Amino acid sequence: MKKKVLAVLLGGCMVAGLLAGCGGGNNGGGSDSSADSSSDGASSGGGDYHFEVVVKSFQSTYWQAAIQGIDAAVEELGVTVNTTGPNAESDIADQVNMLNNAISQNPDGIALAANDQSAVLDSLQDALDAEIPVVCFDTGVPEAPEGSVIATIATDNESAGAVAAENMYEVIKDYIANATEPVRIGEVNQDATSANISGRGMGFINKMKELVEADGKTVAVIGNQYYVDQVENNGDEASADVIIEVAVPAQTTVELSATEASNIMNKEDTIAIFGSNQVTAEGVLTANQNLSVLAATPEEGIVGVGFDAGATLKAAVADGTLIGAVTQAPVDQGNLAIHALYDYCEGETVEDIATDSYWYDAENMEEADIAPNLYD
Amino acid sequence: MGEVILTMKGIDKSFPGVHALDHVDLEVKKGEVHALMGENGAGKSTLMKVLTGIYKKDSGTITYEGKEVEFHNTREAQDAGIVIVHQELNMLGHLTVAQNIFIGREFKKGIRIDDKKMNEEARKLFDRMHIDIDPRETMSKLTVGKQQMCEIAKAISHQAKVIVFDEPSAALTEAEIEELFKIIRDLRDQGLGIIYISHRMDEIKVITDRVTVMRDGAYVGTLITEESTKDDIINMMVGRVIYEDPKTKNMTPPGSPVVLKVEHLNAGKMVQDVSFELHKGEVLGFSGLMGAGRTETMRALFGADPIDSGDIYVNGQKVVIRSPQDAVKYGIGYLSEDRKRYGIVVQKTVAENTTMADLDEFSNGPFINKKKEKEVAEKFVESLATKTPSVDQLVVNLSGGNQQKVVIAKWLTKNCDILIFDEPTRGIDVGAKNEIYKLMNQLAAEGKAIIMVSSEMTEILRMSDRIVVMCEGKKTGELDISEATQENIMNMATREIS
Amino acid sequence: MANKTASKTAGTNKSFIDRMGGQKFIVLIIVIAMFIFFSAMSPQFRKYTTVVSILDYSYYIALMAIGVTFPLLTAGVDLSIGTGLICYSLIGGYLIVHQGWPVAAGMLVTVLLGVAFGVINGCLVALMDLPAFLATLCTCMITRGFGAMVVGGYGIPWPTAAAPGGWFRSIFKIQIGGQNIPIGFLWIILLVIVMSFVLNHTKMGRYTRAIGSNKEATKLSGVNVKFYHVMAYVICGLFAGLAAIAYSAIFATVQPGSGAGFELDAIGGAIVGGTSMTGAVGSITGTLIGVFVICLLKTGLPFIGLTANWQQIITGFVLIAAVLFDILKRKREAGK
Repeated sequence: MKKKVLAVLLGGCMVAGLLAGCGGGNNGGGSDSSADSSSDGASSGGGDYHFEVVVKSFQSTYWQAAIQGIDAAVEELGVTVNTTGPNAESDIADQVNMLNNAISQNPDGIALAANDQSAVLDSLQDALDAEIPVVCFDTGVPEAPEGSVIATIATDNESAGAVAAENMYEVIKDYIANATEPVRIGEVNQDATSANISGRGMGFINKMKELVEADGKTVAVIGNQYYVDQVENNGDEASADVIIEVAVPAQTTVELSATEASNIMNKEDTIAIFGSNQVTAEGVLTANQNLSVLAATPEEGIVGVGFDAGATLKAAVADGTLIGAVTQAPVDQGNLAIHALYDYCEGETVEDIATDSYWYDAENMEEADIAPNLYD
Repeated sequence: MGEVILTMKGIDKSFPGVHALDHVDLEVKKGEVHALMGENGAGKSTLMKVLTGIYKKDSGTITYEGKEVEFHNTREAQDAGIVIVHQELNMLGHLTVAQNIFIGREFKKGIRIDDKKMNEEARKLFDRMHIDIDPRETMSKLTVGKQQMCEIAKAISHQAKVIVFDEPSAALTEAEIEELFKIIRDLRDQGLGIIYISHRMDEIKVITDRVTVMRDGAYVGTLITEESTKDDIINMMVGRVIYEDPKTKNMTPPGSPVVLKVEHLNAGKMVQDVSFELHKGEVLGFSGLMGAGRTETMRALFGADPIDSGDIYVNGQKVVIRSPQDAVKYGIGYLSEDRKRYGIVVQKTVAENTTMADLDEFSNGPFINKKKEKEVAEKFVESLATKTPSVDQLVVNLSGGNQQKVVIAKWLTKNCDILIFDEPTRGIDVGAKNEIYKLMNQLAAEGKAIIMVSSEMTEILRMSDRIVVMCEGKKTGELDISEATQENIMNMATREIS
Repeated sequence: MANKTASKTAGTNKSFIDRMGGQKFIVLIIVIAMFIFFSAMSPQFRKYTTVVSILDYSYYIALMAIGVTFPLLTAGVDLSIGTGLICYSLIGGYLIVHQGWPVAAGMLVTVLLGVAFGVINGCLVALMDLPAFLATLCTCMITRGFGAMVVGGYGIPWPTAAAPGGWFRSIFKIQIGGQNIPIGFLWIILLVIVMSFVLNHTKMGRYTRAIGSNKEATKLSGVNVKFYHVMAYVICGLFAGLAAIAYSAIFATVQPGSGAGFELDAIGGAIVGGTSMTGAVGSITGTLIGVFVICLLKTGLPFIGLTANWQQIITGFVLIAAVLFDILKRKREAGK
């Protein structure tokens, strides 16, 4: 009997602990920014707006950088902000819940980075009914109810992928021009389902194809069916001068990304490889630990390009293992989202903003407009 | 019989709502086999658990070898020399015989377990018991009887001075029981005190020196076996005379039709070319040693195991039985030998169990008609005299005999005309046994056809109208009750072995 | 004399495969066949560097699998090892990278955290009688949240091989004359030998199996069941801690929130290697071989050009086959 009571008590404690843990995490993060801002808000004497922010995941470096931008905006504008987000980007239901909670707080505005573009539609309708303006950042919600989303602030992923292709092509174009045998360019994409990743992946493929064909060579895209199917006028693998091979790991782990990457990097004709987000770019680096083939030029080995930041990627760019990488502007996005809400509340018109993505390499990564976006 | 080695005096133990032991006394002498008897729930097992420290007594004293003792766990009791050979075999099927015997006190060389020495020691034990078991064999590969021997070997290896046998014969065949008795007598002659718990009256007479009887948690009395009759003991247990003598003549009405005919049934190694007929209103006994293939025959007949070849006719019509559903469709009901595993769902109520085989009958579409279910269950509780506070009682809380009645009700609900009782009274106390027997006779009189598989010779002789004997998967004989004796059945049951 | 003949027949009754170790032997053949198959199908696969990669990525799975074999043998399971691994690695790495602890101290904390969570799991399961599945599912969630909370959501890069404190990466891989030598495999083999000894020749192992075979009977035999039951989870936790070191040494960044699913590779490996979900049956060597089936599938299938969905489908079928094999074997034995 005693034992059972003990077990129940313990179970209760655990549940309480879990709840406290989750709540604590989110509130902790939230109160940080609101604490900062409320004091600043008083001193600056700006509009007394309160915004709710729902990010994709509270526990990733990328979103911590976005929160930096939000905090900066809070200081600039003298508003208060409460930030929440689920543990992982896959916790879609959690995020919807948080969004609904945010709506019920009746804030002056909501900034949302939606994990699932369709799951949030009902909530957005509620926000519209409650006349709460919503700014989407990082990811747009294309089917949002008319009038609910006042602006979308997101990376143009197509052009971000294109930036990677352009910079990579700079390094390999002479080699391609002089090549007598077909050459291969690899691309590792984390998945074939999210709009961001596939936009990025296709942006890279299309730009690379365009550049190569402009120089009079032929291109064939092979590998993952989802990506191959989207290529217009795809060439024939047997006769193409340049083969772009697209790989998608079975799960989003570094290990499986590395396996996909080493498969491509092991091929004799591979001259370059692109990892289209942090996990896959680290996969390329992990594969290279054993292969040691990444180099600054195609003559010496394989040219590697990454995406996003993080300490490992930054180190690899700094020491030249990767010739460079593309970073988005999470800081800007967070900042602009709050600014857009503020402007809207002040009665100004706001518009969608496509935030820039930056090419960074060993030379420019310390520069003032780049460095803040290179989160650890 | 020598001096007293163990005295339990005034042992009292209560659980919430139950006064399980009410000032019970028990005295065991060196070199005696002391029977502990009582119906299920009389408190025998509880008393033994108090003795070996699994339960803590509320009051009373235990004196062992002249000193008052109190054990806090089985380990302490073992170390002192009091060991239980449990009713449910406490073996670790995946470990070897020797590993089982020495579990908890392995021989070691440094941190390494010395399996070689353990095998040697186990072999010595078996030599002492004059039995032949390979200590390196995996436990689960032994027969139930051999496993029991290993349990006994384990008990002896504890330098035991008092060994408690908790219904050791429940799963053994007659031959194995003989061997067991030889070992017990051996141990007795070596001066050990033996407590023997059993339901089988015959055994008590054969093996024990004294009998202590318990009823409803209380001490009733102690008798010297030689000086008392079966009826004396049973009277003390239940307070009424219930023992019946063997049937002497076939009670089946003459000319009653064959309801089930099995021809050349083959199913695996354990069922080879078995043929028999079953008449309406008949009790057909299946006798044989453990592992003779009786249960396997029934399982094949019932569709629980695949049939290799052979024909089955129900009411003259040839049928194909591929699954228990098929069997039930043809009116065959099977009461498994292992109630807890196959017969009932112990965590469900009496009513739910009663209607389980025929839930369609009690459902409106996907919904179960609870009211109808309850009515029918209540009807059977009444007609079978099942002792339960209500049909909403969980079956786990009923005694073995009453659980068996719930299983019978289940098949009666289904209107089965052919009922297979596999060891119907295993683990059921004498009083309840008698009720099950009466019930079977009543069912037969009502025109049901009954097959009864039993390892208890007295049960076979008492209940059967005809007897089929099997040995090693083959039918070795068929007898009318009028010509059946213990001896000729045993002859048939061992035909192929000897 | 009689005993001798009995044992002789027991020996000859066994089939060739059974004498070679049963399922283990078959699975080893499958591993070799898979290796030959993938090598034949893909020229990229049959390279030394690929072998090194397969070994690299196998260490953490193998270590988790060795550990989880113990709870599995008690007829339990530990689902917290995957997220646990990431949690321990995050916290250990955090102390090294952000708090300036020496690498060795960070490693020690990593392993001790594993042991601590092993104790927690063990207490929940063995002392408080929570079902193992439920208890470890809860600690799975706890470790996932706890690790991310401590590091504040940032990924943790343990020191690189070239950086100060990067020596620990050479525990698993050293370079001799420009060639990577996967010496981690030697450690795995050593641990397999040690843990095989523990499982087969010590009380710890004997009682682990006994608990899985029949816990009640083991208790009635006077064994301190609670202690050994807890210890099975402690061993599992210890190896999850060691796996965390292996993971940190092979991969550059440890990401908070990841790790869920790692445990399935480990448990899958153990089961393919002949460990029964119902307890008592299994071996450490079998587990190791089973892990290589999983690792070969993970590496080999992409190399022969099968896409993500196919990889998962095939891995699922392999697991079904392994479990079916176990069930059929038991049925056959029961039928004897």
